[in-house]
Formats: sequence, structure tokens, C-alpha cells
Amino acid sequence: MPRVGVFICHCGHNIASVVDVEKVAAYAKTLPDVVVAEHNLYSCSEEGLGSIKKSIEENKLDRVVVAACTPRTHEPLFRKICEQAGVNKYLFEFVNIREHVSWIHAKEPASATEKAKSLVAMGVAKAALLEPQQETESSVIPRAVVIGGGLAGLAAASSLVAQDIETELIERQSELGGILRNVAIIGPEFEDSKKLLDSYTKRLTTSPKAHIHLDSRVTAVKGFVGSFEVTVSEKGVAKKIPAGAIIVATGARELVPMEYGFGNLPGVITQLELEKMLAKGQIPKRAVFIQCVGSRQPGREYCSRICCNVSLKNAMRILSADPTASVSILHRDIMSYGTASERLYRQASEKGVKFMRYGLESPAKVSKKDDHLMVDVYDETLDESIGLETDLVVLATPMTSQEDATEVGKLLKVPLDKNGFFLEAHVKLRPVEFATDGVFVCGSARWPSSAREVICQGLAAAAKAAIPIRRGKVVIEAITASSDPERCAACGNCVAACPYEAIEITTIDGKRVAKVNETQCKGCGTCVASCPNDAMQQRGFTTNQLSAMIDALIKSTVEGT
Amino acid sequence: MFVMREEHGNVAPALVQKGEDLGNVRIDVPYQLVNILETVYPSSPGKIAVLTRRCDEKALAELFKRGLLDEARIVMIGLACSKEQIRLCRCEDPVPSRVVVGEPNAPAKGDELETRLSGMTPDERLKFWTGQFRKCNKCFACTTNCPVCFCDECILEDRTFVPEKGIPPGLSFHLIRSFHLADKCIECGECERSCPASIPLLTLRKMALKDVKGLFNYRPGEKKTTSPLLTTLDDQPLAGEGCDEC
Amino acid sequence: MAEFQPTILAFCCNWCSYAGADLAGVSRLQMPSNVHVIRVMCSASVKPEYVMKAVSQGVDGVLVLGCHIGDCHYMTGNHRTAKRIPLVKKLIDDMGIDEKRVRLDWVSAAEGEKFQKVITEFVKEIEGLGPNPLRGVRF
Repeated sequence: MPRVGVFICHCGHNIASVVDVEKVAAYAKTLPDVVVAEHNLYSCSEEGLGSIKKSIEENKLDRVVVAACTPRTHEPLFRKICEQAGVNKYLFEFVNIREHVSWIHAKEPASATEKAKSLVAMGVAKAALLEPQQETESSVIPRAVVIGGGLAGLAAASSLVAQDIETELIERQSELGGILRNVAIIGPEFEDSKKLLDSYTKRLTTSPKAHIHLDSRVTAVKGFVGSFEVTVSEKGVAKKIPAGAIIVATGARELVPMEYGFGNLPGVITQLELEKMLAKGQIPKRAVFIQCVGSRQPGREYCSRICCNVSLKNAMRILSADPTASVSILHRDIMSYGTASERLYRQASEKGVKFMRYGLESPAKVSKKDDHLMVDVYDETLDESIGLETDLVVLATPMTSQEDATEVGKLLKVPLDKNGFFLEAHVKLRPVEFATDGVFVCGSARWPSSAREVICQGLAAAAKAAIPIRRGKVVIEAITASSDPERCAACGNCVAACPYEAIEITTIDGKRVAKVNETQCKGCGTCVASCPNDAMQQRGFTTNQLSAMIDALIKSTVEGT
Repeated sequence: MFVMREEHGNVAPALVQKGEDLGNVRIDVPYQLVNILETVYPSSPGKIAVLTRRCDEKALAELFKRGLLDEARIVMIGLACSKEQIRLCRCEDPVPSRVVVGEPNAPAKGDELETRLSGMTPDERLKFWTGQFRKCNKCFACTTNCPVCFCDECILEDRTFVPEKGIPPGLSFHLIRSFHLADKCIECGECERSCPASIPLLTLRKMALKDVKGLFNYRPGEKKTTSPLLTTLDDQPLAGEGCDEC
Repeated sequence: MAEFQPTILAFCCNWCSYAGADLAGVSRLQMPSNVHVIRVMCSASVKPEYVMKAVSQGVDGVLVLGCHIGDCHYMTGNHRTAKRIPLVKKLIDDMGIDEKRVRLDWVSAAEGEKFQKVITEFVKEIEGLGPNPLRGVRF
């Protein structure tokens, strides 16, 4: 017989000003299996926690329910108190009566109190059926794999080897450097890209901890944080690399434009093609840059963040080489964020670059005229159509995800956003990491970024990847799934439904049954919902427990008891 | 060979060994032999031949793809249903892939009760079904005799989802059954024939199958397809091709 | 006659819709008090049987709220939810229960306002439909 203790929190007057906390506590006392029901002013305070601990010990409680704020903040705190009081931390249930009751039903104290009662009844029903769980620990392989040998991957790998961590860098091309090999000068400080890349490459080639694999592709990834097995095909030969963490630095590519006569009219080129020309010393006499080609429009709505800065940098390079050159930039907003880039924008303007604003509805028209090109654009600021004679039209297209991004995502079981870039766990609270533990992302694979940003992200990803490797072990939360071999009919539903391929059909004592690899299980419960006869259960969310919650809701509302 | 055989005036399933006299095989008796094939096949080594109507063939496809029966050990002898059988089942797919016994006949035009129910208001429909389900006494004949119902321990036996003590069970019994069968039912009609309370279960199955066809463009009974309930939105199952793990 | 107060059950996934509900709370967005949340890790773990059980035992409305497609913390979990729940709706409609009593929607962790909107709309809809006809029915 479980002994349930219920602790209702006032949370100052956050809860108590709306919910009649004493009434809820009194009601809780009448629920089955509840031996004590108390209320505290601030349960999370030292005093509150102390009083809960004392109550657990004095009343010999073996199940604890706290009705307060949201479990997403304080669940670990109360779980700890349970442990300190001798109760397994998985025998604790949190009921939300603040974010989900007092704060959203502030003008209806009576119904808020009734709702709080029902929620507590549901929490108690679940708590009574909770079972103690042991968390498992898994050791971490002290090696990292970095996928992608561009600037992001180089920065990340350099940081990792500097931290004395064995690092395998996987690059699909025959050289390191990625897209920056085609960009000689990087803005806004006009850095020599080769020098920059070489400085990172040197750190790797001179470190015994770094292992570079060129002409290599990742073909399979198995395992989970701490124990990945990455299969790499290096020049056609398959190799299996055990690793504790993986960093995705696969970069992005330039979108090939379809408009403005690209492909038909000579002289209409992309930004990367311009980089090649400038590197060879071919400076155009007249150049017109068109920004936002293929971006910030229906079908591809994002701003690629760096194209304006790149155009500004290249405009300045043209004018430095030939001060008599004529450069115009047709734009729909100039995104030169940051002080250095803002300075560059002003300098470009002072040096004579003409900035013309055009609208999405009235794009420029490019046509051939004699031996050069003609650009006709409606300038919104001047409210006039302007004709520009030019030698070169440079189309600043956005960066898009690599053609194999979806495959890489599937290999690593990490998500992509609607634009095909990798989706991190949380933009503000968990940058450069994926929701999948042990896998990190940096650079333009994440979203189009400048060289400095890319380096920063690479270092960040390396710092985060080093954490599990340094710790040496990972703890797996005990909310994994497992199948009851007696009930299991081996229908295979769970195997097909699992997003992590963590389940297989195997034979136990001559019977075919499903078995969950608990170290690979992420505790999502998809398998549970696909199981027709309840053989598959998720710890902490069993069908008994959730059904009991539904029954408790019905009892306290529909049946009015 | 596994057949329905008449002996001494009684018709029952019989497992006939090689060389044995087949006796008086009754192909007009509509029992789904596939349903109990699982019980005889492990103890009998080698291959088993079984008379399979189109619905049996589809049921076997559903069982093969889940690894519940070994396709290599089963020889299907296609049996075409008679006009009377087609009428009783309201069968719209009565001809097996390879007809060995019987003459193929035209499919039925649809289920008259189903058409009537679809035309009713929800309240009328609810009245109809509650009236029917009032008669249910949880005999489990429908689950026992269903060829694609494969769980030894059925979720409907627990009080978790069917909390009513005694009979009749609540609507959840029938809803859950409907859901579990929606991607497997091959419309053999055995549930309806077995029900001692004459609840029109086959009609209910047909309504669910229509829903599945409408939502996912999916029909049970093919070996190579995976239930849409297990695949992602672009119809990709994740563990290889469907349940190849089996 | 006392005004009908629906009893509504909502399954919210830990990473998106539950967080969205929390955000609605933090933002003090007011809404009717009929909805009771059960927290699950992923909307994909919501067994269709729970929804059918709740409806069959008299709950007036059931909400299943998950992450937007493409944003599921467990990658494709919510794809299964996206298929199971519409089928449950059709099946209860076959039986004669209004399929509007079960609703599937996607609420991200940042969508406190959407959570408020969904709750408010759904409660209003269920009020309009009246009590679950199966309430207290023992056939």
C-alpha cells in the first residue's frame, strides 16, 4: 500500500491569491492512499524543502506529490529532496497549479480551486502507481568526430585537439577549407582567407591528436552519446570510428540563380564567380550587384545574412584596385550588422558606391546592349526608373543547405528546419547542440554565417562536445521503454515506429519478442502507442498510471466526487 | 493439408497428412482456417496447404509481413467464393490471385447497412450502435475467430481501457477493436458470423476501412505495404522496409 | 438549469505544447478552466486508446497537442500522432459521437498565445456541442 504525501504550494500569493490552497490540501487528504496533505508558503525555499523532507521522514512516505509551479523548472530540486529523505527520485510527481491554473484563471478563484483539486487527484492517482527506477550510466569514448573540413570544422577540431581530445576530421573533398577556398579575401576586415585557413590547418597537422580523413564520407552512424560508431568511407574503404561526440560542420552552398539572364547573358555571374575573377586580378570597369536574388521571397523567405557584407567587401575591393570603377548595389535593405560592417557600408558609400533600393514587385531587368549589359531598375527612393550600363552583373544569392543535408540529418537522427538548415535544440537556451545528446552543429550548416561567426560557433561546439568526453560518463534518465515478453506478440509495430531504431525482434526462451536497447532509447513513447496489447511500457508513463489519471479526472468532474 | 471436412454429419477443421484420404471436404462452409493455422503449423513440420479464399490470402499477407507466419511453409490453394457467400459477406473483393477451386463470381455492390448508416445523423448512428452494443456480452468470439487478431493477451481483457465491471462493456471496447483492426481487417466477416448477439460487426469494419482508405489511401492485405499508422508523413517506415526485422 | 461546464482532457508534450502552456501561464493569458493537462514526453506516446477511453467514459472533449511537424524533439514522433488522431476522430464519428470532440493541434514552446487560442476555441466548441452523450450511459 503506497503512502502518498501531498504538498500544496502557496508560491507566495502567486497560487494562493487565486486557488484556495487549504481547501485543496483538505481535499487531497480524502484521496485514496494519501496519508498526509500539507501546504507551504514557498516549497522551493530552504524552509519549504526542509519541511517536506521532515514530513517524508516522519510520515514514512514512499510517494511524494508537490502541487506548485511547472516541473520544467523545479522537478530536479524536489527529486533531490526525495532522495535525501530516502525516497527514490522517480517516486515523485509534480502537479502544475501555477502556470496551468492560478496564473491563467485569475478571475475565477472558485473554478480554479476545483481544477486544482482535479489536477491533484490526477497527480495522486499517478503517484500511487509509480515505481522506483535506477538510472543507468554509460561510459564515454574519449574521441570526437567532426564532419566537415571547412572553417567551422577546422575551428572546432583545432579547439578539441588543443583540449587534448582525439579528433577525427572527415572531409568529402580532397582538400580542407570548404567554400572559403574560393574566397581570397574575407570581410569586413579584409583578411587573407588562405592565411586564416592555414593557421587552423597547421594546428591540426602538427597535433598527434588530430586525424584528418580526406575524400571521405560518413555512411552510417550507430549508437548514442558516449558510444557512437561512425562508419566512414575513405577513398572507398570503409572504416568504423568509435566516438563519444559528433560535430556537424557540413557547411552550406551558394544558390545557383535562375533569374536576371544567368546562364544566357555573358557577364551575369554569381558572387563566387566574382571572387574567382577578383583573385585573378580581373577587375571590372563597371559592376552592378543585385542583392536578395532568390531570397526574401515566397518559396525562400529567409535572409541569408552575409550577402550584403560580401557585396560591400567586393565592391570595396573593386574600387581599391581601380578607383575609377563604377559600382552600384541594388538592394531591398542592406544587412550590414555589427560595427565593422556598418563602417564598411559608410566607407563604401563615401567611396562612391551607388545604393539603389528596389522592391520585390519590381525587380531589375537585365539585357544585352552592344558589347555590355543594361540594367533597368525602378529606384524606390528616387521614385524613378534608372538605366545602368555595366560590364558585370553580380547576383548575390543566398546560401542554401547542402544537397545531402537531409541524408546527413537522417544518418545522425537530427532534425532540419523548413529551410533545410540543421535545427538546434533551442536558439537561445541550447545553441550549437541538437536535442539529440552528443551531437553538435556549427557554421553555415546551421544557418548562413560570416567567417568570424563560424569560428565562434566551432569553438562553442567544441567546448560543448568536450563536456561528456571530459566527464567520462553519461547518465540516462530512467524514462525508457521496455517490452513485457509475456504479453508481446512480436507484431513488429514498435520496431517500425521507433524513430531511433532502438527496438528489434529477438528470441527469448524460444519466444519471439520485441526488445528495446535501453541505451539507445530516448524515452519518447512512440512504441508504446503503437503496441496493441500494452506489452510495451514507458517507465514513469505506464498505461496504468495515465489511465488512472483519466479515471481520477472523471471521478472528480463528470462523476462529481 | 488443412481443410474443413465433414465427418459423421459434423463439419470441422481437419489436418490431412500426405497420403491420407481427403474425405468429404466442404468448401461451402465459411470458416477462416487461417485463424487456427498458427496452432497447427508449429507442430507439423514441412509445408501446409490450406484452402484460401481471397480474404484468407489477404489475412496471410498481413501475418507474413509481421513475421507471424512463415510464408515459405504455406501453400495457398485459391478458393473462389460462391455467389451466396459473396452476398452474405457483401464482399467487394471475392476472387483470389490464383483460382484453383471454384468459379470466380462478381463482387457485391456494397453494404446496404453501411450506406444507411452513413446517411444518418450522428445522433441516429449513436442510437443504432448503442442499441447494438447493449447486446454484447464480452464473449470474445469476435477476437478469437478473427484471423488478423494475433495477441494472446488482449488489451480488452484488462479493466484499464474497458473499466466497466460485468456486461455490456462500454463503447471503448468496440472503439479500440475498431482502431486496432483498421489497418489489418480483410473483411472476412468471421466476427459477424461468430457473434452470438448478431451485432453487425462486418459493417462496422467496412466503415473503418473506408476511413483508412480515405485518410491514407491504404488497403490491408498486401505483403509489401506497411501500415500508415507506423510510417512517417512521407510514408517512410524507419526501420528498413516495414517490419523486415522479423 | 446550470450552465454546462465541459470536462476536457489535454495531452501535452514536454518539449513543445507543455512548454507553450507554461508560457501562456507566465504571460498571464487568461482562459477557461475546463482543460486538464496530462504531461507526456511526446505526443506520439499518446495511445489512441487513452482518447477512446476518455470519450467512452464521458469526458466531453480531448485535446492532443504536440510539436509542429518538422520540430518534434524526437524527430518523427509527431508524424504518427498526425495519423492516429484523425483516424480516432473518424472512428468515433462512425459510432455517432461528434468528431469535433477530439482535436489535434500543434503548439510550439514559443506559442503561449496559440495555446490560449486553442483552449478558448475548443472549450467554446464543446460548450456548443453539449455534454458527451455517453455520460453516465450504461447501455
